[in-house]
Amino acid sequence: MKGLLKNNFYAVWSSAKIFAIFMLLLGAFVTLVVSQQLLLFYMLLGITGFSINAVAGMGKDYISKWGKYKLTSPVKRADIVKSYFINELIWLLVGVVFAGIGMGLSWLLHGCPFDRSIDALMMFAVGIGISLFTAAIFFPLFYLGAEERNGAFLVISLLCAVGIVMGIITMINLMFGAGMSNWQIILGTLLMLACALSAFAFSYPVTVTVFKRKEY
Amino acid sequence: MENILELEQVCKAFPKTNFALDQVSFSIPYGSIMGFVGENGAGKTTTIGCILNTISKDSGTVKLFGKEMSDADTDLREKIGVVYDGDNFPSYWTAEQLSRVMGGLYTRWDNALFHKYLEDFRLLPGQRIKNYSRGMTMKLAVAAALSHHPQLLVLDEATSGLDPIMRDDMLDVFLDFVQEEDHSILLSSHITTDLEKIADYITFIHDGRLIMTASRNDLVYNFAVMRCKESQFLELDPGDILAYRKRDFQMDVLVSDGKEAQRKYRGFVVDHVSVDEIMLLLVKGERV
Repeated sequence: MKGLLKNNFYAVWSSAKIFAIFMLLLGAFVTLVVSQQLLLFYMLLGITGFSINAVAGMGKDYISKWGKYKLTSPVKRADIVKSYFINELIWLLVGVVFAGIGMGLSWLLHGCPFDRSIDALMMFAVGIGISLFTAAIFFPLFYLGAEERNGAFLVISLLCAVGIVMGIITMINLMFGAGMSNWQIILGTLLMLACALSAFAFSYPVTVTVFKRKEY
Repeated sequence: MENILELEQVCKAFPKTNFALDQVSFSIPYGSIMGFVGENGAGKTTTIGCILNTISKDSGTVKLFGKEMSDADTDLREKIGVVYDGDNFPSYWTAEQLSRVMGGLYTRWDNALFHKYLEDFRLLPGQRIKNYSRGMTMKLAVAAALSHHPQLLVLDEATSGLDPIMRDDMLDVFLDFVQEEDHSILLSSHITTDLEKIADYITFIHDGRLIMTASRNDLVYNFAVMRCKESQFLELDPGDILAYRKRDFQMDVLVSDGKEAQRKYRGFVVDHVSVDEIMLLLVKGERV
């Protein structure tokens, strides 16, 4: 597993480095100016950007024969898939940390950037939800035949993920109505995270099943 | 003699391309090198895919170290080194990064040995693979395949694209590898001169079917080609003919025992035959 994780890290690192520099610069700008919308954009971009970059890195294994070569090494196919899922969670955490620092600094310098401080929770849940749903849809699709078209399938997965998250938000709004209490927001956040994590967890055995049938 | 690898009646069909491996059977004894020869698209890589489980066979058995290998048998894969033709590793890696990844995959990864190979092959550990020449990438792949102390090397066109000097160096490395009596190599190639130099056995495959497996000594010292006219060809015992091919004014006939043929058919020209020519006759020639 260690070797697989290192492999995934190298696949993501070069583009993650550039994205991290961009996020640092954008973060500095966001903390200097007072703009709620810009901060929300920064947070969403941070949370989703790193993890989507990690998902996209998967395709790099198949440009060379490395994807096939790995199957001849002493790892199980399920472990290869597991390593992609772990990699996704690691980079999602990196994105959350970036978003958290940006939001924290802005809060420190200019006060609470949201209408209510509890709204920050929902913001993180939306970002994490989009990332996890994107990965949950993309991973099995990738092995179903999207290796050569993974760019297009990634965009489709992302759009589907955004659609699902919007659907869940609409559902939460319908359930609790306007002017939600703090507890209702926390409940809504938990619901969002539970749905995203369930989809992510369900995607793992599906991806393993698809990958086990794949021939190289 | 015990075999490190045994294939029995392995079948695999690809309905979309209308290609099929048809009952492929051969075995490699411990301590030997098996050359696997066939034209492009003959089924060499598919057979190797079935051996290494990157392709699931439709029927038949493949035994590695006496055992059928499943996805869960990671211990068996520890003992196999693989080199594919072309880019084995991502081009954005350096040899150093490759070593770190391989060290995390193989429990017996030998970093010192890998760096020794890098030095011997004059490869820079910090240079990105994308800046390597084709020969260098193949050398790196061979170094990686050897550095986890495998017992079986599976080389799929590993020497193609290398210049003769580099190929010779590689062949020396392979010969060195089989000095250990429990080590073996399956070397698929269409550069038959390489196989003539190092293989103990050669298996010919054509259109998904195994044509023949023979020892290198048998092929080099016993196999022969008889050159004769059409009228002389009719005098031949069909049992002596492995394959024949009509050329402009003569017939080339492949026989398995040149000396016997010379004794039996006086007045016929009997020539030594190269593995290349044997392949041509088996693939392009006709059978009786």
